[in-house]
Amino acid sequence: MSVIAPKFKLSYFIKSLTDNIFWIILLLTLIGIPLIMITLIFVELPVHDGELVNPFLAFTMIFHPELAVPLLKSLIYSDFFKIAAFPGLGFAALIAAATIFAERKLLAKMQLRVGPFYCGKFEGILQLMGDGLKLISKEIIIPAKADKPLFWAAPVLFVATAAAFVALIPVAPGWVVADLDLGLIAVFAVIGFFPIITVIVSWAANSKFPFIGGIRALHQMVSFEIPLILSLLGVTILTGTLSLSEIVHAQENYWLIVFLPIGAIVFFISMLAELERIPFDLPEAESEIVAGWLTEFSGMMYGLVQLATYLKLYAFAGLFVVLFLGGWQGPMVVPPFPEEIITEGIQAGPITVQIAGLPIVSQEMLNGTLWFTLKTVAVIFFILIPRGVFPRIRIDMLLSIGWNKLIALAFVNMFIAVGLIYAGILGPGGIW
Amino acid sequence: MVDATFLALSVLTIGSAIAALELRSLIYGSIALMGTLGGIAGFFLLLDSPFIAIFQIAVYVGSIAVLILFTVMLVKRELIFKKIEDRRRKFAGIGLMLILMVGLGSIIIDSGLRTIQTDEPPVDFRDIGKDFVTYYWPALVLMALILAGAVTGALVLARREDVADEQRTN
Repeated sequence: MSVIAPKFKLSYFIKSLTDNIFWIILLLTLIGIPLIMITLIFVELPVHDGELVNPFLAFTMIFHPELAVPLLKSLIYSDFFKIAAFPGLGFAALIAAATIFAERKLLAKMQLRVGPFYCGKFEGILQLMGDGLKLISKEIIIPAKADKPLFWAAPVLFVATAAAFVALIPVAPGWVVADLDLGLIAVFAVIGFFPIITVIVSWAANSKFPFIGGIRALHQMVSFEIPLILSLLGVTILTGTLSLSEIVHAQENYWLIVFLPIGAIVFFISMLAELERIPFDLPEAESEIVAGWLTEFSGMMYGLVQLATYLKLYAFAGLFVVLFLGGWQGPMVVPPFPEEIITEGIQAGPITVQIAGLPIVSQEMLNGTLWFTLKTVAVIFFILIPRGVFPRIRIDMLLSIGWNKLIALAFVNMFIAVGLIYAGILGPGGIW
Repeated sequence: MVDATFLALSVLTIGSAIAALELRSLIYGSIALMGTLGGIAGFFLLLDSPFIAIFQIAVYVGSIAVLILFTVMLVKRELIFKKIEDRRRKFAGIGLMLILMVGLGSIIIDSGLRTIQTDEPPVDFRDIGKDFVTYYWPALVLMALILAGAVTGALVLARREDVADEQRTN
């Protein structure tokens, strides 16, 4: 490390300060304020004091803390915020990014290495940002004989499919982008797109390693989709619904993993295969076929595919939590919002401020999000750990596990579910 | 609004169906076929039956299209297909299709389709499920047996000991 300021002069320091202030004011007036106004024109605004707020009033309200709260609340409850930020893409991408970093650190610790270390002051915490910048700045090289439209479309399609999957996962009561009546079947419909994209991109690259990887991915995904779907029939039989939110509501007293441990295990193993993670990472086997179907991707195209892979990982972990671990259910640990702030307002010395629209989000939502995130992170760790432990298995072993063992176990699981209902333990008159 | 969606879906479905037939590249042809099947799923959505729409996507776009893609990639096109450029065949085919469509269309429109009430609430898929377990239970049992037979058959096919042994000795 070099010395930060070798020749320190007070006049230079003051000059840099005034320069910075000048640029901040200039950029704020030229870019910031127009940007805020443009956003306000397109955002759906709330009703305040009995009349609809217009963008100009909203702009003045932003700078009043007690008036800005209803504005913020209406933003948080808008559809756009749901899709882009909280239960949707932003939240998922945050968890995905944290997963990439945690995976590298965890694997390194398991193998007595250091892992990312130099980027950022503490334990290489900025490594991910550095990798992202590197990927953005890299040139995108497309093979000369590749099928260009399909090759360009594939990463975008992959991210879109992963995002559609994320949209179906309920995070807290009422906090889900697409709350379908048929959530579980919609999940299968979305999962079905991944092998198509993989095969198309592996063909479009017009190169040997991607093609071998793509064919392997197809084998693997198609044969493990069957135990994946069969293992969830038990859940549907016990809860009697296909909606993911209702499945979570049904697990208020008992988590389904208590009754369907076999189904949970089958689902977890099939999930590993669908995610192409070690020990089932044959499509990307880096010691055999370079990087499998990802070989020809470079620059941000690779970055997009990587992002989508980890979005998919988050979505599968979330699905496991929703189906077997009770979703957002958990003991209430978040303290209730203090009543006197709503009734009497905030008192600071002689001033009392009444803020309309508090609390912004409910106690149940915060608690649910907390438990969902904790459980999802735990499941993600269980997905990551095999990578440090297991070797890669052969493709014939993989197919035989899928077709012989997991399908049979999924049927056993289904009979357990039916047996539980017919024995009167669950269902009407039982402990449910 | 629905009319615009309907028109867009029709254009998508028919356009990609024609593309699936006419495109020289088999891969693009099968992708166009996926477009057709997805368009049909869109029609089911318009008809207030999301259950069938999602199954259409899951089964036809998700599985059948993958099988077609897989097959197309493993064959060499030149070995199988001989290109016959024949304008007369083409026009004859188009004519035949038109006759068929007009005939079927007239029969369907004549069959009392116009008198159907369209403002009834959509059928809940739970009701269909209940009907299946109560009134139509023999059909359900038959379907379950066929599906179980199919899965067992797949398991038997996957369990070919001779092939596995051959690979191991090699």
